[in-house]
Amino acid sequence: MKRLLAAMVVAAAAIPMFAGVAGLPAPGDAGAPAHTRVAARYVEAGVRETGAQNLVTGVLLNYRAYDTFGEVMVIFAALAAVSAVLSRGPPARRPGEARPQVETSPVVAFVIRLTAPFIAIFGVMVILKGHLAPGGGFQGGVILGALLVLLSVVTGRGLERPLLPAPAARWLQAAGPLAFAVVGLFGLACAGTLLGYPAGPGADMLRAAMMLMLELGIGIGGAAIILWLFLQMRGE
Amino acid sequence: MSQLFDLVMLLLLIFMALAVSRSKDLVAAAIIFPGYSLVMCLLWQHRGAPDVALTEAAVGAGVTTILVLLAIGRTCRREK
Repeated sequence: MKRLLAAMVVAAAAIPMFAGVAGLPAPGDAGAPAHTRVAARYVEAGVRETGAQNLVTGVLLNYRAYDTFGEVMVIFAALAAVSAVLSRGPPARRPGEARPQVETSPVVAFVIRLTAPFIAIFGVMVILKGHLAPGGGFQGGVILGALLVLLSVVTGRGLERPLLPAPAARWLQAAGPLAFAVVGLFGLACAGTLLGYPAGPGADMLRAAMMLMLELGIGIGGAAIILWLFLQMRGE
Repeated sequence: MSQLFDLVMLLLLIFMALAVSRSKDLVAAAIIFPGYSLVMCLLWQHRGAPDVALTEAAVGAGVTTILVLLAIGRTCRREK
């Protein structure tokens, strides 16, 4: 019964997906819109229309915001899946057993503590400058997440006393989807479509602010998710 | 010159990929893999995709390695 239900759910998800994929132009089709019109339009009008100097950001957060929304949900789902799997399996070690103490080398600890503020500034810069230069929420978020992982190792803080307090972390992990929900509904209100952007040269600042909010959401969410993946996989 | 750079990098890439798949010690494989990512990162940069290069360096060489090492820590080190 349960298996039948699972098969039905899979079929219900897969059939529309395959139908959609079947409708796409064939790979390498020279007449596909992507090759004839879309790319040229992005390159020609992208900077003017989206307000992002970095065309990649313009495509990611404006033209293809739906795709990015999907990516953010995938990352969030990955965290949910890891949490679900690891919280049900056997613990990494038996309750009484002490965690093997691996001393962090003082050189490593010192260097990480010394460079941490600079890494943090760099991560924030990558997130905020994604508008103008290569970078953006995903990259900056991963840098910040890696920094949190390093600091967790050096300070020896695991799941029971994490660097981010658990109630706050729960909201931070959802920052990406939440930012997309807020910006998407805002776009619905002022442009008429979900994740739509107000048009016209007068709305430049507004578009920039919306994109910045998405970048921040992706970055903060990504960093929190990476820290939690690390803590959960390490156990305790 | 530019072509030569690509050629050397692609050969390195193939070499690293083979090294990862042939290594029986999973920790060694996990340490070689970021090398693969770094070469890939250079290639992205050289081919004019700095956004992807940044992602490759941060995700491929950084976070993936940590997660793979943790997974090895929870299972076993030698490939059977």
